[in-house]
Amino acid sequence: MKITVLLSPGLHPLSGKPVLPRLEAQAIALGKSLGGVLSGLAAASCPDGVADALGHGLAQLDLIATTEGEDPMPLLAAALAEDGPKLVLAGRRSQGGEESGLVPYALAKALGLGVVADAVAIEPGTEPGTLSILQALPKGARRRVVARLPMVVTVHPAAPPALPYAYGAARRGTLRARRVQAAPGAPDAAPGLFEERAYRKRPKLMRGAGTGGSAAERLRAATEAGGAGGRVLTDLSPEQAARTILDHLAGLGILR
Amino acid sequence: MTPAALLPYVVLAMLALAALQAWRRFRHWRAGRPALVDWARGLVALPKRYLVDVHHVVARDAYASRMHMVVAGGLLAASALSVLTAVPPLGQSRIWLGLVALAFAVTLAGALLVGARRYPQRPRRLSGGRFQILPILLLAYALGGLLTAGLAAAGASLPPLSALGLLLAAAGGLGLAWQVRAGPMRHALAGAIHLAAHPRPGRFEGERASALRPLDLDAPKLGVETPADLAWNQLAGLDACIQCGRCETACPAFAAGQPLNPKRLIQDLAAAIAPEADNRHYAGSPYPEARPVAGIGGLTRPVIGADAMIHPDTLWSCTTCRACVEECPMMIEHVDAIVGLRRFQTLELGAVPMKAAETLGELRGADEPGGRALAARTDFAAGLDLPRLADTGTCDVLLWLGEGAYDLRYGRTLRALVTLLRRAGVDFAVLGAEERDCGDTARRLGDEATFQRLARDNVATLTRYRFARILTADPHALHALRNEYPAFGGTFDVVHHTAFLLELIEAGRLPAGSVAGLSVAYHDPCYLGRYNGEVEAPRALLDRIGAERREMARSGRRSMCCGGGGGAPISDIAGERRIPDIRMGQAKDTGAGIVAVACPTCTAMLEGVTGERPDVRDIAELVLQAVDAGAQAASARPPVAAAMPMSALEPAE
Repeated sequence: MKITVLLSPGLHPLSGKPVLPRLEAQAIALGKSLGGVLSGLAAASCPDGVADALGHGLAQLDLIATTEGEDPMPLLAAALAEDGPKLVLAGRRSQGGEESGLVPYALAKALGLGVVADAVAIEPGTEPGTLSILQALPKGARRRVVARLPMVVTVHPAAPPALPYAYGAARRGTLRARRVQAAPGAPDAAPGLFEERAYRKRPKLMRGAGTGGSAAERLRAATEAGGAGGRVLTDLSPEQAARTILDHLAGLGILR
Repeated sequence: MTPAALLPYVVLAMLALAALQAWRRFRHWRAGRPALVDWARGLVALPKRYLVDVHHVVARDAYASRMHMVVAGGLLAASALSVLTAVPPLGQSRIWLGLVALAFAVTLAGALLVGARRYPQRPRRLSGGRFQILPILLLAYALGGLLTAGLAAAGASLPPLSALGLLLAAAGGLGLAWQVRAGPMRHALAGAIHLAAHPRPGRFEGERASALRPLDLDAPKLGVETPADLAWNQLAGLDACIQCGRCETACPAFAAGQPLNPKRLIQDLAAAIAPEADNRHYAGSPYPEARPVAGIGGLTRPVIGADAMIHPDTLWSCTTCRACVEECPMMIEHVDAIVGLRRFQTLELGAVPMKAAETLGELRGADEPGGRALAARTDFAAGLDLPRLADTGTCDVLLWLGEGAYDLRYGRTLRALVTLLRRAGVDFAVLGAEERDCGDTARRLGDEATFQRLARDNVATLTRYRFARILTADPHALHALRNEYPAFGGTFDVVHHTAFLLELIEAGRLPAGSVAGLSVAYHDPCYLGRYNGEVEAPRALLDRIGAERREMARSGRRSMCCGGGGGAPISDIAGERRIPDIRMGQAKDTGAGIVAVACPTCTAMLEGVTGERPDVRDIAELVLQAVDAGAQAASARPPVAAAMPMSALEPAE
């Protein structure tokens, strides 16, 4: 199976030095555990940080040179369309960059693939051409999803740890400069889509946090899963289910 | 021909067999990497290295020293004199034969001493197996020789008895020669070569010679995977081991029941020198809590792994405290071997323990093992207004803060040190956010690439400024900066805070004051004591401030590690006990109320000991307490206090 791991130039949250985002190193480990032909793909203006992927177990890495501030999406989409990997592994969002977290989705849309988010484990499905993916949900819940290849999978921080960096392996790995022609008509992030502002620390509001009672009671009030908020419907037809969800979203004012 | 006349030929046969056996073994050394050896210097220095340096270590066990002198001296003398019996006038001389018999008698006494140590009950640190046969072979050789030469010297003609003696001598002697390849006698020949071609000749010339050698990061293979990746003289060093087990009694990891026994490690490596090797013949104490391994290896086979000779947990248990090296009478360099093996695991395989991998990752990404901001290093000094070298441009003393500065507990020590520097009017500054980690942890964990990068970056920073000396309270940083940075172009005058404070007091720049009434046990940090030989200054300092100093059972260069070196706390290999608990127990045994420390790692490890125990105080804190006490006493006498300029230097706190 041909697997491509998407990599991005990250910045260390404190030092600001170029590093490989930890999630992407974990994506490499997850891809290696599946076996198959694993290669990396990145669009970056400089190999610093990205090239560390070679030390975390990746043997080969294609680097598409971009100019500072260029949208990597069309270039990545073009390269992936050219390579046609069965599985694209990615982190959840970049680190120290624009961090929209949209790249895996935008790529999947451009390539016409499905996305399974927040994988903590991947194994081949019982049926050929499928993968059985363990997905991380909030509050430690897990869900098993079986999906048909090809697809895009993003990795959750609870996935197995990355392989330790090995200098010798990084030295042996090959870093190829790759040239691709951006597909015409590919969605291009409009300049000025993102506005940059200095980070302002906000107090963390705890829903339902009480003011009275003992510390233990307040903690319980703040952390207890709200039991009254939802409904569990079973044995609905797909149409009924879709209708119920749409009604709910409309009720919340999300859909108009 | 009388049996006595045949004696020289027995010895010659022994020599021939020993040479053959040595060749069968030593030819494997050629598979090792080449090493730069100054043969002329080494061979000339050999007698001194053996008779002085080796003896100095051996003599710590007086019985072993006397035993070895008698048995080795006797064996050599008896064999040499016997050979000369072949020269006609000597062979006929009854006086000469008497001399030969005397030498054999000395050997016999030695053999009995060897036997008495091993029978009926062998001490636990000694190896059994082939080593238990040694006294029997020695006894046979000595008794046989004595009988043959003695009867001839007495002029007694008892052919059957003489012949029996000759046979006995031949059996014992040839047995000893046979043991040159794979028995205790190997240490004699390999040891001589090892001493002459020692990888760290500086050790015999008064240097501490404890710095690790830089690794060529462009080499085709990084670190030691197989025995053939060791230098040939390191292989010779492995063969020099006599399995006396002094290293295992000194090893903190062994004491804590972690799966490391330096003797076994050296033996496993030595066993792997032959092409098809296994560990069957080892008969000493095992690794505590030993992890199962296949126990097979060879010159070009990997050493580390559950399917090889040594389990990775064994490798990562080492604290690099060098206690084994300090105790080894054969001057074997255990830590070099361990770091070499770790380098391959880390650099080529990325097979470091998970927690250590995180630390190394942060060191690469943030130049700091905890991934903390470099600017936060001076947070401990809030309100002390530390001068930055970037602002002052030059200073007399550069204070290197080290990793301990991030630790709340150790921050107290550094605050005490800074306060003392202010009181003494020392012109000092810190690097602030420009100070990167010194790279010690990375290097001991085998990540030479990260160490070399940090070293080069730090050297580049340091050479931009003008200062006379670097002062640090961290012996690990001291060792890296003083001994390991010169290989990367940075030669600095580095001083530990204990030595510096002593200087200040002796120069009268700090009033000594007194903490009389405090009983203090000083715990030597390995990287200050063993690695740098500084054991006097901290003690002198404690004496100057009037502390009642008590010595722990193990102190000075033979001190025991706190368990914090070599990345061991982050590798965190499980054992039966914790090393700091053992060390704190030794401190408690002195009855002292305070354990004085002089290292951030020791502070953290010993402070982590629970239960009723002596307080842990850095020497800087004790000195500040003494100085404060002195100032108080002085201000009680107004006229004197007014004359003291010290209060003018008081920092605004």
